[in-house]
Amino acid sequence: MTLLSLDGVSRVYATRRGLFGRPVAVRAVDHVSLSVEAGRTLGIVGESGCGKSTTGRLALGIETPNEGSVRFDGAAMPAPGTQPWRQMRARMQLVYQDPLGAMDRRLTVADQVGEPLEIHGIGTKQDRQDRVAALLADVGLRPDLGLRHPHELSGGQRQRAVLARALASDPALLVCDEPVSALDVSIQAQVVNMLTDLQQARDIAMLFISHDLKVVRQVSHQVAVMYLGLIVEQGDPEAIFADPLHPYSRALVSAIPVPGPRRRERIVLSGDPPNPADRPTGCAFHPRCPVAIATCTHTAPPLSRMADGRLVACHLADTHQRKAA
Amino acid sequence: MLRFMALRLGRALLTIALVVTFAFVVLRLSGDPAITIMSPEAPPEVLEAFRQAWGLDQPIWLQYFKYFTAILQGELGQSMRDGRPALELVMERIPSTLALTIPALLLKVCLGIPAGIYAALHRNTMTDRVVMTFAVAGFTVPSFVLGLILVLVFAVQLGWLPSGGQESWNAAILPVIAMGLGGAGVLARFTRSAMLEVLGQPYIRTASAKGVPWPAVVRGHALPNAAIPTVTIVGFMIGSLIAGAVVVESVFSWPGVGRLMVVAVANRDLAVVQCVLLLVAMTMVTANFIVDLLYGVLDPRMRGQAAGGGH
Amino acid sequence: MACSTRACAARPQAGGTDMSEVTASAATLPAAASSTAAPPRVRVRIPFGVLAAIAWLGLILAIAVFADLLRPYGITALDLRARLTPPIGFGGTWAHALGTDELGRDVLSRLIESIRISLLIAFGATAIAAVLGTTMGFLAAHFRGWVEQVVLMLIDFQASMPFLILALSVLAFFGNSLVLFVCLMGLHGWERHARIARGLAIAANAQGYAAAVRQLGATPMRIYMRHVLPNIASTLIVSATLSFPEVVLLESGLSFLGLGVQPPMTSLGNMVGYGREYLTRAPWILLAPSVVIVLTTLSVSLLGDWLRDRLDPTLT
Repeated sequence: MTLLSLDGVSRVYATRRGLFGRPVAVRAVDHVSLSVEAGRTLGIVGESGCGKSTTGRLALGIETPNEGSVRFDGAAMPAPGTQPWRQMRARMQLVYQDPLGAMDRRLTVADQVGEPLEIHGIGTKQDRQDRVAALLADVGLRPDLGLRHPHELSGGQRQRAVLARALASDPALLVCDEPVSALDVSIQAQVVNMLTDLQQARDIAMLFISHDLKVVRQVSHQVAVMYLGLIVEQGDPEAIFADPLHPYSRALVSAIPVPGPRRRERIVLSGDPPNPADRPTGCAFHPRCPVAIATCTHTAPPLSRMADGRLVACHLADTHQRKAA
Repeated sequence: MLRFMALRLGRALLTIALVVTFAFVVLRLSGDPAITIMSPEAPPEVLEAFRQAWGLDQPIWLQYFKYFTAILQGELGQSMRDGRPALELVMERIPSTLALTIPALLLKVCLGIPAGIYAALHRNTMTDRVVMTFAVAGFTVPSFVLGLILVLVFAVQLGWLPSGGQESWNAAILPVIAMGLGGAGVLARFTRSAMLEVLGQPYIRTASAKGVPWPAVVRGHALPNAAIPTVTIVGFMIGSLIAGAVVVESVFSWPGVGRLMVVAVANRDLAVVQCVLLLVAMTMVTANFIVDLLYGVLDPRMRGQAAGGGH
Repeated sequence: MACSTRACAARPQAGGTDMSEVTASAATLPAAASSTAAPPRVRVRIPFGVLAAIAWLGLILAIAVFADLLRPYGITALDLRARLTPPIGFGGTWAHALGTDELGRDVLSRLIESIRISLLIAFGATAIAAVLGTTMGFLAAHFRGWVEQVVLMLIDFQASMPFLILALSVLAFFGNSLVLFVCLMGLHGWERHARIARGLAIAANAQGYAAAVRQLGATPMRIYMRHVLPNIASTLIVSATLSFPEVVLLESGLSFLGLGVQPPMTSLGNMVGYGREYLTRAPWILLAPSVVIVLTTLSVSLLGDWLRDRLDPTLT
């Protein structure tokens, strides 16, 4: 069952080039369509500035799309800041990249984990205390850690606390925006495992946003690769990682560090990372694409479905697949 | 650079406009402006003519407009006490006030800034502590208390200096000290912390490590950078010269604008009050504007920031 | 001393007499998360000057609160046989420990009552300025857009005009009642609180806990009251402490000029004003309140500086 669907959403910011320049429209997200099934995880990968965080915010309704629509559980997303939007927060939550910044340093962890319960009026005071204790246990925190303040915990513990707070109102959807990027690698694995366990136990849908492909591969049922505000490839994670069709995905996958001798050729992209204020004509990736052809410079490739069910936005995707097959 | 100046000028004019608006609003709220400006004893024809001139029977926007233009033409009403135009009364007192405030300002700057610099350069020594104690005393003792004590000691007990009035030149000494000492204290404290802030910067250490002799480091790097915030506060002091004079002139019965203001307030002589208010606003705004320009000259970072004032 | 200028340099050290030192006693924070106790608090040594300031302020507050009990005489009680008697040590008697004025009124009693009134006005005004300023700052930070521009313009206006002149103008136009006077004093310094509140609220809103709590579905009221305000409270308190002495000086200045507190009520500035006529014959009438004014302003300034250095050194 589709829980969340984004339908051709775009987010355009108006900025100035320099201090006195003409106003320029920056398309952070460009006609993105995706959907998240209940209890399943959609991963979004891409480099910094590709629009994945903005997509996450659009999905939650924190920002309103300039084009397209967002629907949650069949109903349109209310405007941010309104009463219906606030009530909807109980059903969808955001897990942040920086857990220290996301918590109030003056309140104890237990107070903050219990805050969603207070805000949405869930349960009596005694109930809430019990629920907070249960939540802390769920995320693997000892109950006495609830009495501490956020800055008195380690990074991994803090992220668990943020997660506990996000789960307090029993949401149906969790949007995780780079939730493990700030953690040590060993802690990353723990937190990621915890996320997958929680998802199975509570049947939560997840939108997992990261630039780290290894992590996304582990948690996602579906992966979307974004570049410059567009989805360039979307489909089953194993299929994409084993045989990426889009040139950008190929470059990303080839960059994943693997132990042992390198079996695959490392693709290094030429050119500079893109500037969203200065989009190339045609396919957004063509200036850096190792296999670009003439068509790519003037016609943007549509997101088309391949034989194995994947979506790819590349003029050469067909030929590549036929070659590989 | 031109855009920077234009913006600052715009802000200055906006502030003056706000002050005029403030006066207008307060004047309207406090009763019939004709009576309050012209005095209750004025004959009804005069009141009527005034009302005509200021358009008091017309919609409020028109009234505001007429008020504005009247102010711009210097038509500020007449003093209740002697019927003379308020502007004239104020103008003739300005030299007296300047005779006090300018020396006081010089005192503040020439005493306060060097003291602050010296204290910063000799931090935590006995001299520093002494200077700072005096500085703190300088601004916690209100100017009227200081003035009265000075009168008590020097005029009454020792009889060296006159206790008030403007008869001889040495009558100005005590008022100037009373006005200047407090500001010198504030300035000393401020300069000291500005200097300390600058001295703690890495580039000072670098300059010294490069082998530049310390006095040259202070002169070439520390002072110019510490000058920037100090200029701002001196500008503020210039702008509030008249405000500082109000109390001291009353203590010493000095016939300046400050004393005129106090008497006018006590007698509710609103034309004079309004006039002084506008005068202070103009002074303040001009001083701020000059400081802003100086900022642009002193601080190269400001020249790049043309758009939007910085709060 | 607080300064309401545009670009006050941030001060990393204590201004004024450099008296603040913080020594931490052996504070061993737990090495790993295995200990179950919260980390112990660090111990702070309060410098002598600040202790003296706190002691004086405690005394003044006690006097203000228990004024009715402490006053030997009423403030208008006349003792015409004992006019202009000097205080103890200068030829006076214990009957009038600080002497009497020209009408035989006991200076000590009037001083006690003046302390109460002046403190009352100062606290009231500081509270009004803090509440008003914080609210305006929050409104500007929350709504942005034209609301923020209006608030900034008002802040600019208030900061650029010397408050004394504005106060005098209002007093001229509206006359003088105590309520009006306290409200007027309450307008002093609000712009400082507004600037601080706005700056901190914007910083909190941009990222971090305020955005997170908004994301949880909290109403703006809850965000500001439960989260932003407690976090910036220490800065606001320091700012209020630094502007408290200015209110005292302002009120006493205006009362000295006869434009502030009116008789039969008496305030510190009032007493100095009345004592002025008897400067030559009976200087104690104005010296007693003057000493109180100076010591009180000094104490609050010292305390405020120390608090600022401890809590938020970036404040001026």
